[in-house]
Amino acid sequence: MPLEIRLNDRLSNVELVRKEKHYLEILVDGKLYKLDVMQVERGVYSILYNGKSYNVELIEGDSQKKYNVNTHYHSFDLEIIDAETRYFLSRNKNLLDNDESTISSPMPGKVVKIPVKAGQDVEAGDTVIIVSAMKMESEYKAGKGGKVKEILVNEGDTIEGHQPLITLE
Amino acid sequence: MIKKVLIANRGEIAVRVMRSCREMGIKTVAVFSDADRTSLHVRHADEAFHIGPSPSNESYLNIDKIIQVTKKSKAHAIHPGYGFLSENADFSNRCEKENIIFIGPSAYSISTMGDKITARDTMMAAGVPVVPGTKEAIKDEAVAARIIKEIGLPVMIKASAGGGGKGMRLVKKDADLIASIRAAKSEALSAFGDDSVYIEKYIVSPHHIEFQVLADKKGNTIHLCERECSVQRRHQKVVEETPSPLMTTELREKMGKDAVAAAKAVNYVGAGTIEFLVDNELNYYFLEMNTRLQVEHPVTECVVGVDLVKEQIRIASGEKLTHKQKDIKQTGHAIECRIYAEDPDNNFMPSPGKIQQITEPQGLGVRTDGYVYEGYEIPLYYDPLISKLITWSETRLDAIQRMKRALYEYKIAGVKTSISFLEKIMDTKDFYEGRYDTHFIEKNQNQLRASNESCSQECEDIAIITAFVDYTEKLKKLQAIHLAPTNGKSGWKSYGRKQGVERM
Repeated sequence: MPLEIRLNDRLSNVELVRKEKHYLEILVDGKLYKLDVMQVERGVYSILYNGKSYNVELIEGDSQKKYNVNTHYHSFDLEIIDAETRYFLSRNKNLLDNDESTISSPMPGKVVKIPVKAGQDVEAGDTVIIVSAMKMESEYKAGKGGKVKEILVNEGDTIEGHQPLITLE
Repeated sequence: MIKKVLIANRGEIAVRVMRSCREMGIKTVAVFSDADRTSLHVRHADEAFHIGPSPSNESYLNIDKIIQVTKKSKAHAIHPGYGFLSENADFSNRCEKENIIFIGPSAYSISTMGDKITARDTMMAAGVPVVPGTKEAIKDEAVAARIIKEIGLPVMIKASAGGGGKGMRLVKKDADLIASIRAAKSEALSAFGDDSVYIEKYIVSPHHIEFQVLADKKGNTIHLCERECSVQRRHQKVVEETPSPLMTTELREKMGKDAVAAAKAVNYVGAGTIEFLVDNELNYYFLEMNTRLQVEHPVTECVVGVDLVKEQIRIASGEKLTHKQKDIKQTGHAIECRIYAEDPDNNFMPSPGKIQQITEPQGLGVRTDGYVYEGYEIPLYYDPLISKLITWSETRLDAIQRMKRALYEYKIAGVKTSISFLEKIMDTKDFYEGRYDTHFIEKNQNQLRASNESCSQECEDIAIITAFVDYTEKLKKLQAIHLAPTNGKSGWKSYGRKQGVERM
């Protein structure tokens, strides 16, 4: 069964041609790879290709279709694209365009301070929330000017990574 | 001799202290917070006691609770590690009152050196050179601004009670003055509960070089040579090495003498570190004294051959120093890299989370002081330090090559780490040639921040193939569960049972 896989902006067609134990033949965008693929540890694959040895780490993302893949010097976010994913992508396109209006932290932590109130006007670059994690405080600034629409957390709250904290109008 | 030690700390340093205790036949007692029940120091210790909720002010900083557990476990002594209560004079005092040996200096030494302004006065009186700046702790914003103008920019604003880069701000431009004072005060208040700051002249091309000292209760004080700690980011050390590439034999002797004089000036007992700023002309100034074991102590241990924790325990037991100054010799070269749970591609954001897989480097001349294991979840309440990687070799260049090899072997999956950033530091010309000061990271940021040379089509394809293989295997397993043979039982029956469960 061929699959589409997205790596950053690149969308690739991947198809399994032959499989004999751990010896695989796989087509990636028409190029044929003959490889020896072994899962050596949980989430770690050893891949031999043309005599070269690759160590590849896979970390599952928020869904079973998303992966963070690390080779020795590079790190990629990959996504398996199937019909369901395609539908979500087209539906969420508008939401993604509005990214600037939602403030979130890429890491889990604790809300230290929210120096703004709902309804208040802010300029681009104003600090709207301060989050601390692992003894470091990080300030999050408004990406654009506007009114604070909603504050979704309180000072002292423990938050998850990527959780929406504040929305701007 | 001390028979049982409570370690009032967590993470790699708690494990490190327990290792030396075990070698000395000393029993160990761990304390832990809610978040640390599964932490390695709990598993390493002979006994372990819960001391409170995850935030450190309710657990690792709770003096009453720690004293109570010490008595309950009948430990003779407390080792405070670094951070937390290690430089808390009240704690040292309290231990003394409760007849518990504090493995560290007296309250007097801690408070004299801990208050940077008193420390400065004491050093000036002892004839140790200091950096020009204010003497008084400043609480008022306007006064701070006026003094900064008198000293002249650039200046450094520092928390009086500070350490580890918290509550510290460099001011280069007039425009940033007020904002920087406020930021330093606010950080100082939240980190140390005291918002006084002091101000000092900023040395333009400074090297951060520190001296390890050891002092026993009988009045003997020696130094164990220097550590070069100039590779810093946000005033936090990233890479340390010894000997320092800047050091000369004459300078080492002179600074070592001053380090010993500084320790003696506060009747210091135990292991401590005198930090100096050294400029390119080899002028040096006393910066501060850390009255505890340092994070980077292993490089000294490798090159001088002394176990600093064992020395601390022997000193606390009342024994004489094992070594005399003339016995202290540096052999070879050691480098330490601090591995943090942080994302070097995203402004070094902390990256707490679960370790999915870890492979630590091994082989000749490699030491790792860490505490995480597969399946361990790094809590967000504490320091992002995962481990320290130390390499030793006969020459500096060999030690660098060995560090590169060890970093290559080091694999941690599940959280982002600074490993790739450290590899780039090892590859930087300035580092390789040993020509660097504390501006090293800023100066080389283009090279250090550059994403790795773009990946070839082949390596991208390999990543895609791995995801493909993993995903199709996963699908196959799911289907196998779905179509599993039912051993003669009705598939409909199990379907109904499953529906029932899902409804609950």
